[in-house]
Amino acid sequence: MCSSWVVFTFCCLGQLCAGKSLKPQIAASWLAANNPTHTTVTLQKPFCMFDSSLHPNKSYAVYLYAMEESASAISSLVINSSKPLDSTFQQTRGGQLGPYKAALFNVPNCASPPRLADVGDINKLSDVLKQYLFRVGDDGNCLYDPNFLGICNPPLAPDTTYRFKYLLLDTTEGIVKDQTLWSDAIKTRRVKLPLKIDTWPGRRSGDMIVITSILSVLMFLLLAGFLASVSSVWKAKTALKITKKKKKSKKKKIYKNKSMGLSDPKLFQ
Amino acid sequence: MAKSDGIRILQGLLVFGNVVIGMCGIALTAECIFFVSDPHGLYPLLEATENDDIYAAAWIGIFVGFALFVLSILGIIGVIKSNRTLLLVYIILMLITYAFEMASCITAATHRDFLTPNLFLKQMLERYKKSEPDNNNDKWMIDGVTDTWDKIMVQNQCCGVHGPSDWQEYTSAFRATHNDADYPWPRNCCVLDDQGSPTSVDGCKLGVPGYYNSNGCYDAISGPVNTQAWGVAWFGFAILCWTFFVLLGTMFFWSRIDY
Repeated sequence: MCSSWVVFTFCCLGQLCAGKSLKPQIAASWLAANNPTHTTVTLQKPFCMFDSSLHPNKSYAVYLYAMEESASAISSLVINSSKPLDSTFQQTRGGQLGPYKAALFNVPNCASPPRLADVGDINKLSDVLKQYLFRVGDDGNCLYDPNFLGICNPPLAPDTTYRFKYLLLDTTEGIVKDQTLWSDAIKTRRVKLPLKIDTWPGRRSGDMIVITSILSVLMFLLLAGFLASVSSVWKAKTALKITKKKKKSKKKKIYKNKSMGLSDPKLFQ
Repeated sequence: MAKSDGIRILQGLLVFGNVVIGMCGIALTAECIFFVSDPHGLYPLLEATENDDIYAAAWIGIFVGFALFVLSILGIIGVIKSNRTLLLVYIILMLITYAFEMASCITAATHRDFLTPNLFLKQMLERYKKSEPDNNNDKWMIDGVTDTWDKIMVQNQCCGVHGPSDWQEYTSAFRATHNDADYPWPRNCCVLDDQGSPTSVDGCKLGVPGYYNSNGCYDAISGPVNTQAWGVAWFGFAILCWTFFVLLGTMFFWSRIDY
């Protein structure tokens, strides 16, 4: 129930957008969260954008062109006397010098768009994504493969602004029938160096301060207590010794007096 | 007569205090052994950050716990027999043990602060699947970090430290060997099926909800380590507070023993 409602609103939105501004749109973020990445940009395929130019009984194809934004000053023309431009990624130095052809695919079916509710279905997911989205920069190998003859769609440059354009081609006659505007500027992600990550913890936690300070105080008190008890014992010992000595000397005196024939001096008083 | 009654009460208290110290010692040893045995397999991560002093604290805790247990027995005997020499030995050894436990406690508390997300983030980016180790030790750490991360991400169904975007925001050793178009993040960030392969590589690459793990692993890493370190620190602290009073009492008792 809910999913069909979502699909319905999405289709309405799609129609609305197509009517107002015909520009390639970046894929919705709820569908493709990881977009754009460093080297790829995922676009929505041009649903219902070329409806007015389509005639039955003719075959059509859509070309996707990409260029760096800086290149628009040099050349942003993709039609050469009603023929589509044929420059490749290498020829334009990755879009720096002008638009290059990034992809060729069938015109998306406006009448029966893929059901976005099927995204949750593992078996249908890749089909829905394929029909609905196109990922610029998806092919990491074609540049280095000498046997690759198709349209090469190699990774884009990071931290660079790109623009995209769809073109409708009549494949029977080889003539461009329609085109969208250049898309809004889309910037690939910037990368940061992990070296610059600061791992310093900053302020100390209260735990650490409490534990350290209290323990230091306790240790100090313990040592002080130990010293106090040792000194008190030592004092007691010396006091004991002195009293013993005194006793001894007293005894000696008494003994002396006795030996001299005097028993207790007090007796004489 | 009154004085000897007081001494008897003090003796009883000290024996009780030492019994508690002995039991706490065993508990501390047990706790620290649990920590050191690394039940969550997180040690390689801490080792690679060169910040494994928390484990050092736990090792000290093991020995201190045992020492406390043995010393408490010595203390009980000394107090009951009122033997001066025995008690002096007890006090001195206890002070040394006290200092060690203090070190363990403070180390654990301090290093809990160092377990910041950025610490793990940096290490993950610099070491995960790094292809060219500098030396054998480095290779050892890289393998440890890689295996641990692979395991954590699968077990906890998480990705990166804060989330998969970690792999997008920063360059990494992983990025040097895995291009962004095919591996925006490691495959273990994808939702895996029973065979351990991604349910949908395309969905995972694009970040379609439900096909990649969008939450970060920081909680899964720091949670256990933090709790255990917290235990070592605060339990050690509690033992030290208790021991403080017992030791003071013992010193008083020691200085009041008659010949």
